[in-house]
Amino acid sequence: MRTETLPALDEGLADVRPTARAPYRKLLGTATIVLFAVLIPLALVWAPQDAKQGDPQRIFYIHVPAAWIGFLAFFVVFVGSIGVLRTGKRRWDDIAASSAEIGTIFTTAVLITGPLWGRPVWGVYWTWDPRLTSYLLLWLIYLSYLVLRGYVPEPARRARYSAVLGIVGFLDVPIVYLSTRWWRSEHPTQFVFERGGLPTEMLITLLVGIATFTVFYAYLMTVRVRAGRLQEAVDEEVFS
Amino acid sequence: MSWIAPSLTIAGKDLRLELRTRDVIASVGLFVLLVVVMASFSFPTTGEGRDAVAAGVLWMAFMFAALLGMGRSMAIEKEDACMDGLLTSPAPRESIFLGKLTANLAFTGVVELVILPVFVVLLRLAPAGGVPLLLLATALGTLGLVTVGTLFSAIAVNTRGREAILPLLVMPVSIPVMIAAVKVTQAAFAGGTGEGTVAWVLLMVAYDALFLLVAIATFPYLTEG
Repeated sequence: MRTETLPALDEGLADVRPTARAPYRKLLGTATIVLFAVLIPLALVWAPQDAKQGDPQRIFYIHVPAAWIGFLAFFVVFVGSIGVLRTGKRRWDDIAASSAEIGTIFTTAVLITGPLWGRPVWGVYWTWDPRLTSYLLLWLIYLSYLVLRGYVPEPARRARYSAVLGIVGFLDVPIVYLSTRWWRSEHPTQFVFERGGLPTEMLITLLVGIATFTVFYAYLMTVRVRAGRLQEAVDEEVFS
Repeated sequence: MSWIAPSLTIAGKDLRLELRTRDVIASVGLFVLLVVVMASFSFPTTGEGRDAVAAGVLWMAFMFAALLGMGRSMAIEKEDACMDGLLTSPAPRESIFLGKLTANLAFTGVVELVILPVFVVLLRLAPAGGVPLLLLATALGTLGLVTVGTLFSAIAVNTRGREAILPLLVMPVSIPVMIAAVKVTQAAFAGGTGEGTVAWVLLMVAYDALFLLVAIATFPYLTEG
């Protein structure tokens, strides 16, 4: 049954398949694997053990890069959302939606790795520190964005609705940070970055971590955006 | 400006409808009263830290009131294709937003002004010198909440989830203005002084102004097709 419908789909998909971009995607995929192969020994062995925090500190090398991607991905959602409203092109919606999905995963990783580090170092899994609080809210805004998309079946409408939420949500993030900072100003919890200047090995490992996660994000974006295009092509083929 | 007159006409339509049916204010008012009574049973409302609890309870109640009222107010436009009528009228789309915003502010504001004295009496609060500050917090907090809510209610009403999805959209984004409003209200209950009250008021002003502009700029896109 499936094989009968496939040839027709295949013809329709021929022009969508971005064959020219495939090497580019493969390059990003390979680079991700290579960078992770470098990052893991750097983070686990090469970087010196932290004098105060011990080995739990090493989670820092994936926690901070994941947090960076959480923000970067939301910025891409914002740019994609503006693109949707300005041009009405579905391509921008693909970018915004893909970035939101990937960003949610990285943000979730941040919220999981944070408490895993916090428990041995701070003695608690969670504290209402401004960074933690605003990151939790960032995660909630991401989730509401994805839930909204699930509630609007028509693609054009879904694109515009989620674009408005993407713009409002992104602009909200700095205000959230400011307000949670003032909110807990009576409990200064600056001990996260208290130590002055990282040792060179730690800094290099962190930078490699950020590079790895950025390439990984770019790779996931190319895969997810392509999946979105194929989905569109299938929809057109099946419903036309 | 050419936006103002049509906005007032649209707001006037909503207010006239409300005066005749009393749908929104009656149901929302009773609902908020019930929230306040329920909260009085659920939280310690006497002794130490009462001002902080009271401020939190009050804003939870206001948040629910605004959500309920805004959802209802946009659902009315959906019935009998009322929104299509508005869209085919010569009123600019920005005016439709400002009109709905004005009507929602009026509904929420009336409910809040009725509930505030009841709340102060029920929880035996004494905001003696803090009344102007309390009114300022209510006004600025409500403006922020209702601006974002009116924008998102135009989204929620056209989704499969209808009113159920509105809180999911409004709550995460409105946290900063809620924190600020609670802080200033707390200061008002404590007699009109509090640490950093001016900064919180300014934060609300900035939030309101930013999202008012964003809402006016993006609302027209929500009404297409």
